Amino acid sequence: MDGAARILRRYTAASILIAVFLLIVNYIILGTFVFKGINEGAPPVQVTQTVAEGLYKNGSHYTLEPDAEEWLQKSQAWAMLIANNGKVIWDYAIPDQLPRTYSLAEVAQFSRNYLQDYPVFVWEHEMGLVVVGYPKDSLAKYQIHFPISWISDLPYRLLALLFGNILLAALLSLFIGSRLIRAIRPLISGIHALSEDQHTHLEAKGMFSGIARSINHASSLLQEKNALLKARDEARSNWIAGISHDIRTPLSMVLGYASELEESDVVPYEQQQKASIIRKQGEKLRSLVSDLNLVSMLEYEMQPIHTKPIRLSTLARQIVTDFLNNDLAESFTIELDVTTEQCFVMGDEKLLVRAITNLVQNSIVHNPSGCHIHVQTTLSPNQRNALLIVTDNGKGVEQAMLPDLVELPYSSKRKSPSHNGHGLGLPMVARIAAAHHGHLLLTSDTGKGMTAELCFPLSS
Amino acid sequence: MEEWKQKKVLIVEDELEIRNMIDGFLRKEGFSRIFHAGSCKEALGICVSDKPDVAILDVMLPDGDGFGLLTSIRRFSQIPVIFLSARGEDEDRLLGLGLGADDYIVKPFLPRELVLRLLVILRRVYAPPQIDRLPVFQLGDSTIDLEAAIVTRDHHEYALTAKEHALLRKLYENRGRIVTSDALCQSVWGDDYYGYENTLMVHMRRIREKIEPCPSTPEYLLTVRGLGYKLLVKEEL
Repeated sequence: MDGAARILRRYTAASILIAVFLLIVNYIILGTFVFKGINEGAPPVQVTQTVAEGLYKNGSHYTLEPDAEEWLQKSQAWAMLIANNGKVIWDYAIPDQLPRTYSLAEVAQFSRNYLQDYPVFVWEHEMGLVVVGYPKDSLAKYQIHFPISWISDLPYRLLALLFGNILLAALLSLFIGSRLIRAIRPLISGIHALSEDQHTHLEAKGMFSGIARSINHASSLLQEKNALLKARDEARSNWIAGISHDIRTPLSMVLGYASELEESDVVPYEQQQKASIIRKQGEKLRSLVSDLNLVSMLEYEMQPIHTKPIRLSTLARQIVTDFLNNDLAESFTIELDVTTEQCFVMGDEKLLVRAITNLVQNSIVHNPSGCHIHVQTTLSPNQRNALLIVTDNGKGVEQAMLPDLVELPYSSKRKSPSHNGHGLGLPMVARIAAAHHGHLLLTSDTGKGMTAELCFPLSS
Repeated sequence: MEEWKQKKVLIVEDELEIRNMIDGFLRKEGFSRIFHAGSCKEALGICVSDKPDVAILDVMLPDGDGFGLLTSIRRFSQIPVIFLSARGEDEDRLLGLGLGADDYIVKPFLPRELVLRLLVILRRVYAPPQIDRLPVFQLGDSTIDLEAAIVTRDHHEYALTAKEHALLRKLYENRGRIVTSDALCQSVWGDDYYGYENTLMVHMRRIREKIEPCPSTPEYLLTVRGLGYKLLVKEEL
C-alpha cells in the first residue's frame, strides 16, 4: 500500500523535525529562563575584588571607596581584612559573633565553605586577606571538580546525546506511526474501494471507528444510488421498448394498407404514388423504431449479446453481396478488399451485420448522386485488432462535426442538432462497437469522402 | 398454387383492426376459409372445432401469450404456426421458434411478406412429395437436369459429381444473385471458405467445362471478384 508507506515516511520525518526543534527550543529556554537570576545582583567574587581594590591604608586607618561600600550595602554584605598574622585589622558591618582572630586552618576552611554559615568570599590584599561575607542562607557555595578527560570528551558526549535523541524520536515515531498506519490501512483500502465504486464494509472499532462508519455509510449510499440509477435506466429502456411496441401495431396498419393501395389496380397512378410515399415513410418509421429500441438497449446495457467467433471477411462478403443483390443503384460501386482471412472477432453476428450494413447504407444515403464504396477487412498495424473499414469518395462531413455524429441526437454531448436522417445510425454503430469492446473511428472532411473504421479485439 | 388458397387459416390477434387487415389481405390473395380469434380461449376452441391448416398467432393476447397458446395447441395438433409480434427482441424470436413455430414476423410488416411466408410454409408442410423434384433448366445450349445430375450439350451428356451438383443447385436456388464463396462452401463442405479457396475454384472450373460453351470466358457462371459466384439463367423450361 503506497499510501500507507508515504504517510508513515512523512510522519517519521515530521517527528524527527519536531524533536530537533524541541531540543533547540529547550536549550534557548535553559539559557534565558532557567539560568536567569543565577547572577542576580553583583557577582560575589566581583564584589569581593572591588572591596579588596577599594581598600586603602590611610595612616593607621583603612578607608573603603564609596562605590565599593555602596556595593556591600546593596548586597547586605559585610567585609573584613585579616592581616597575615590572623588578626582582623579592618571590618565593615561585621556580625558581632564572629571571632576577631583566625588560624590558618580556619581561613582555609571558610575560604572553601562558610564562615559560621555565612557564605564568604576572599580576595588577596597587600595587607592580608579581604573577606566579604553575605547574609546567612542567601547564597549556596559549591566546589565542583571535573576530570580533564571528562571535559575533553564533553563535546562528543553532547553530540552523542543529540543523535541519541534524534534516534529515539525516530524509533518512537516509527512505532507510533506504524500502529497508526495499521489502524488507518483498512480505512485507506475502504476509501480506495469507494473511489472504484466497489462495495466496502469496514469493522468499526478503535480510534477510527467513526471514520469507518462514515466510509461504510458512504459505500452503502453509493450502492443505493447505483441501484437506483440502474433501476431508472431499466425503466427508461423498458419505456422505450414499450413505446416501440405500441408504435408497431398502428404502423402495421399504415404500412399494410398503404402497400395494398400502392399495388391496387383500381387506384389511379397518382394515388398509387402517394400510397407509395406513405409506405416508404412508414418503413423509415419502422427502421427508426427498431434502431431506437436497439440503441436504448445498448445504451442501458440491456441488449443481450450472443457472441461466437466470427470471421470478419465472411461477414463482409455477405453484406457486400446483399447490397449488390438488392438492386444497388447504378451510380454506386462497391468493392470488397480482404487483406486477410484470419480475422476472427468474438461477436454477435446480427449486431455486427447491422453495424456494417449501417455504415455502407450511410455512404449510400448521404451521397444521393452516387459514390464508390470500399469495404476492407484487415488487421491493425500492431496485429492485435481486427479492422473493418468502410470508405467512400463522397461529399464527406466537415471535420469539426465528426465527434457529434456518434453522440445520440438531442443529447447534451452533441454540440449541434442533427441535420439529416434521424441521426441514430452512427450512434448505434458506435454502441455496437463498444458492446464488442471495440470502437468506431470516423475520419472525413468536406469533399474528401468518409472513412468509418470499426476496430474489434482479435479473438484468439 | 391455387390449392393452397383452399387451406383454412386461423388468425389470432386481439387488435380487431389488424385482424381485419390481415383478413383483407388473405382474401385478396384468394384465401377464403379464414377464422378469427381474439384470445387464447377462442383460438383453442377454433383449433378443436374447425381444425385450421395454419395459424397466425399474435404474441400478446389478453388472456395469455402466444407462446403459451402454441404449447397448448401442440398438445393435440401439429399445424404450422407463424408468430406475429410487435416485440422484435431476439429472445422472443428464439423462444417462438424454439417452441416449434414455423416463422416469426415482427410488426410492422408488409402484407406481401406475410402472404409469401404463409405460402412458403403451406407449400413446405402440405406439398405432396413428388413436387420435391429438382428442376431441369436451360443455359444457352446446355440443358441441366439437377434431378438426374446430368448436363446435356451438343448431344453429349456430362455427369455432375456430387459436389458439382450441390454447388450448381445452390447457385440455381439463388439464380441471378451473387452467392458468396462462404455460403457455397458452407452448403457443400459445411465449412468456412478459408482453406477451400482453391478447391472451390477447381470445382467451378469443372462445372464451367460442363456447362459453358467457352469455359475461359464464362457467360452463365460468373465470378464476382472477391465475393463469390453468380449463375445467370436466361430461360427456364
